[in-house]
Amino acid sequence: MAPLRCLLPLLPALAFALGPAAGEARRPLALEALGEAEELAEELWDAGLPGHLPELEPECRRLLAAFAEGSAALTGCMGHRARPVRLCQACHYHYRRLLAQYGNIARAVGNSSESHNCAKSILTSDRLQIVVTLSQFFNETWEAANCANCLKNNSEGLSNSTVEFLDLFNKSLTCFEQNVQGQTIYLSPNNYTEVCKNCNETYRMLNDLYNNLQRLNRQGGESGYSAHLCIDVEDAMNITRKLWSRTFNCSVPCSDTVPVIAVSSFILFLPIVFYLSSFLHSKQKKRILILPKRIQSNASLVNIQEKYS
Amino acid sequence: QLTSSSFLRIGQLSNVDLNEDIRELETELPRQHPNEIPHNEKLLSLKYESLDYDNSENQLFLEEERRINHTAFRTVEIKRWVICAMIGILTGLVACFIDIVVENLAGLKYRVVKGNIDKFTEKGGLSFSLLLWATLNASVVMVGSVIVAFIEPVAAGSGIPQIKCYLNGVKIPHVVRLKTLVIKVCGVILSVVGGLAVGKEGPMIHSGAVIAAGISQGRSTSLKRDFKIFEYFRRDTEKRDFVSAGAAAGVSAAFGAPVGGVLFSLEEGASFWNQFLTWRIFFASMISTFTLNSVLSVYHGNAWDLSSPGLINFGRFDNEKVGYTIQEIPIFIFMGVVGGILGALFNALNYWLTMFRIRYIHRPCLQVVEAMLVAAVTATVGFVMIYCSRDCQPIQGSSVAYPLQLFCADGEYNSMATAFFNTPEKSVVNLFHDPPGSYNPMTLGMFTLMYFFLACWTYGLTVSAGVFIPSLLIGAAWGRLFGISLSYLTKGSIWADPGKYALMGAAAQLGGIVRMTLSLTVIMMEATGNVTYGFPIMLVLMTAKIVGDYFVEGLYDMHIQLQSVPFLHWEAPVTSHSLTAREVMSTPVTCLRRIERVGTVVDILSDTSSNHNGFPVVESNPDATQVAGLRGLILRSQLIVLLKHKIFVERANLSLVQRRLKLKDFRDAYPRFPPIQSIHVSQDERECMIDLSEFMNPSPYTVPQEASLPRVFKLFRALGLRHLVVVDNRNEVVGMVTRKDLARYRLGKEGLEELSLAQT
Repeated sequence: MAPLRCLLPLLPALAFALGPAAGEARRPLALEALGEAEELAEELWDAGLPGHLPELEPECRRLLAAFAEGSAALTGCMGHRARPVRLCQACHYHYRRLLAQYGNIARAVGNSSESHNCAKSILTSDRLQIVVTLSQFFNETWEAANCANCLKNNSEGLSNSTVEFLDLFNKSLTCFEQNVQGQTIYLSPNNYTEVCKNCNETYRMLNDLYNNLQRLNRQGGESGYSAHLCIDVEDAMNITRKLWSRTFNCSVPCSDTVPVIAVSSFILFLPIVFYLSSFLHSKQKKRILILPKRIQSNASLVNIQEKYS
Repeated sequence: QLTSSSFLRIGQLSNVDLNEDIRELETELPRQHPNEIPHNEKLLSLKYESLDYDNSENQLFLEEERRINHTAFRTVEIKRWVICAMIGILTGLVACFIDIVVENLAGLKYRVVKGNIDKFTEKGGLSFSLLLWATLNASVVMVGSVIVAFIEPVAAGSGIPQIKCYLNGVKIPHVVRLKTLVIKVCGVILSVVGGLAVGKEGPMIHSGAVIAAGISQGRSTSLKRDFKIFEYFRRDTEKRDFVSAGAAAGVSAAFGAPVGGVLFSLEEGASFWNQFLTWRIFFASMISTFTLNSVLSVYHGNAWDLSSPGLINFGRFDNEKVGYTIQEIPIFIFMGVVGGILGALFNALNYWLTMFRIRYIHRPCLQVVEAMLVAAVTATVGFVMIYCSRDCQPIQGSSVAYPLQLFCADGEYNSMATAFFNTPEKSVVNLFHDPPGSYNPMTLGMFTLMYFFLACWTYGLTVSAGVFIPSLLIGAAWGRLFGISLSYLTKGSIWADPGKYALMGAAAQLGGIVRMTLSLTVIMMEATGNVTYGFPIMLVLMTAKIVGDYFVEGLYDMHIQLQSVPFLHWEAPVTSHSLTAREVMSTPVTCLRRIERVGTVVDILSDTSSNHNGFPVVESNPDATQVAGLRGLILRSQLIVLLKHKIFVERANLSLVQRRLKLKDFRDAYPRFPPIQSIHVSQDERECMIDLSEFMNPSPYTVPQEASLPRVFKLFRALGLRHLVVVDNRNEVVGMVTRKDLARYRLGKEGLEELSLAQT
């Protein structure tokens, strides 16, 4: 513990060097201070590890630091955009950069001599393999959020349909806001008729667009399994729908119970008529008994009879 | 010495004998009009005949055997394997066809109805959607029912009882014809698309059997085409072996359970099997499931993935949540008891309904109307349930194929609709695998109740449809309900995963209804793909069978009995040792002499009152003093072929160049021998003589008069006989035992019963 305690002032730098878990707290420092951090880290290594053990090439150290920085940035972004979900819109830049940085590490094989290749020393030389784990975590989250779905093919920026959807979404939110303004939020749910009337058109458009996107996605998707849209779009739609049908109680379908009951009881009544009429009018099917040719001793009768008594 | 009370006690069962007694007393009284009674379960129909499993070892047969050398027999063996492979491939392809067509047509129907419901939910007028749904269902089912009722009634139902009878040795008319296959396949597609509470798995077994029977004969009499191949297999024994392979291939395609298929064949036709046959059956099963798998995987766009082995796929049960612990075994057994009781209730209701149908709804047009009504009511019940349900669940991904929103908030769907607004197969899988909390208990309870009655009402309609899937669905619904209440009682313990209980409930319900044991256990095990479930599933099925058998018998056996089929069970009734062959046999027997006048033969064959099929051949010209000992047995079909080719003694002398009759001539006529009326015999020819000694079976099985019923039964059942001659100690024919003579003794509720023969 002693050496650690004397290193205390250097902690921020340490945090940067060692990864995102600690780095997250200090993140605001970061972006422009990249160069400085690297230098600090190098100093740290020089101070902490005596005798210049050939633990990590400077080149590799630089790559590692860049990765650490990138993952910290991405984690921060994701954390901040967790609710309401704006993951794909806000963080795709960070994600792409992180991918590139990881790629650099993994590809940095031929650069230096064989004994010092970065991929080997960073990715596979210990049990924990923290860099690999981190990168896997980000990839899986990204996949689960299905962000690729609302980004352009080269993942630079949002796709046109997503932009269109988000515009419409903002428009309907604005509409909701304008129409709810002036009314207190504590009014009984029935009094939102204003909103329902005024924003109906926007909401319908939004809903239709969403359904359309979903249909296109299902058709284009490979074998129908990845039918999810990206999480941003899904979440936006969920929020709007919840507002619309739960809070404002706008979607009140006509329930025409009387005709339904009439029609169904008519249909349910038909079989009774059918069975009754066939019972009464249809001639019952009779079977004609055939007399078997048998020896008519009474023995068989007695035999059977014995079993009864 | 019989008192009148004992007459009463014997009751109607033996009224035949009583009448005959009376007739004997009042001799020569002209027989009054035929005795007519309403249909009941204690009848044997004359419509059904036996299959000829016994090989007729006449001289022609011996000649042929001498002619064919050793290598030729090896070719026969190879041909058997080729046929089995073809059976597997074709059965798999038929299953694919059914699956793909059903998927597309049902998808189309549900999309149309869903669009309509969505439209009318906003504007009002949902009664139109109801009408649309009911009309669509009824019209689709109408087509399906019309083709079955008017073209091929034997294609109705699941076909498993019929195949069971066939493997037992009963010839059900038309059961393995190509026409039946076509009607069966179209019928099952239409009834599943028509939204009835039915499955497409049972009919696969029948389809597989028909395919097997067709291929092994190398020709189709329906199409009037003879491919001149596989002629060696044109007899009942060989055909039966292939039919059992076909049935196994059908099971294997339906459930993705090749071993289950083999065991099904053994369980249903087990009196005739050997090791090589089993191995061939297994081969056919494997080929069938593999074919289905590869074609469906190509169809679903991921070729070579091979992930859909059966028509119904229970999905994977291999994550940790669905493991079970030893403490749960008593719970499973309890579920088996529930399944047995519910299954018995199902069968009892269905028995009552089937009896009504046989008695009153026997005209084809009435049957079609009934099927349409059931379809309309099924749609209505589904609609009303969905309409009344307030159970809304958030849409999650694409696990719901046709989410109906109805009165739910936007972005949510009606949970009742996942169960009712879907094909039954999909609903089963949903019940197994949807995460806990997808259904609320009220929904499941109502669904179970409604579906139970619908399925019970549907089985026995004149549509081709199976009962496996509806049973699984009912069981899965109450099993899931059970699981939910269990986890509620135990305050949400982790082990009470409702999907696991849904599976056990499904097994219990199915076992309670059909009462299959070994094969069903293996089928369920293979369908879940989890061997560790074998033990609990076995326990559940065992309990369900024991409990169910206490009340009524299984659904298939019940229907066999209601059809008045002379079905031979494994053993003779246990208390029948005191009955002897003398009492069982029919007598007197119509015998033929070894050299018989053609006119006599024609007269005997065309006598409509005695539709005999086998005739003992006795020594010709017996004097009054000499004993007319039994010399052999000849079949009606052989006689007809002889008459057709005019093999008369006089003609043989007349033309020396006349071709000798070969075994091939008999095979060519198989299996539809022409009726005697179609054979013209002139007045001159009637005076000719016919020599039977070359064609008869010289060594028919015989029993002495004193043999007990169980002994006769065992011989008959094990050898698959059709005629068993009863002789006295001078080798004189005294009687004949046939299948109907044995099948009429049955162990009823109050001891040994005797069934009556009836014309149906």
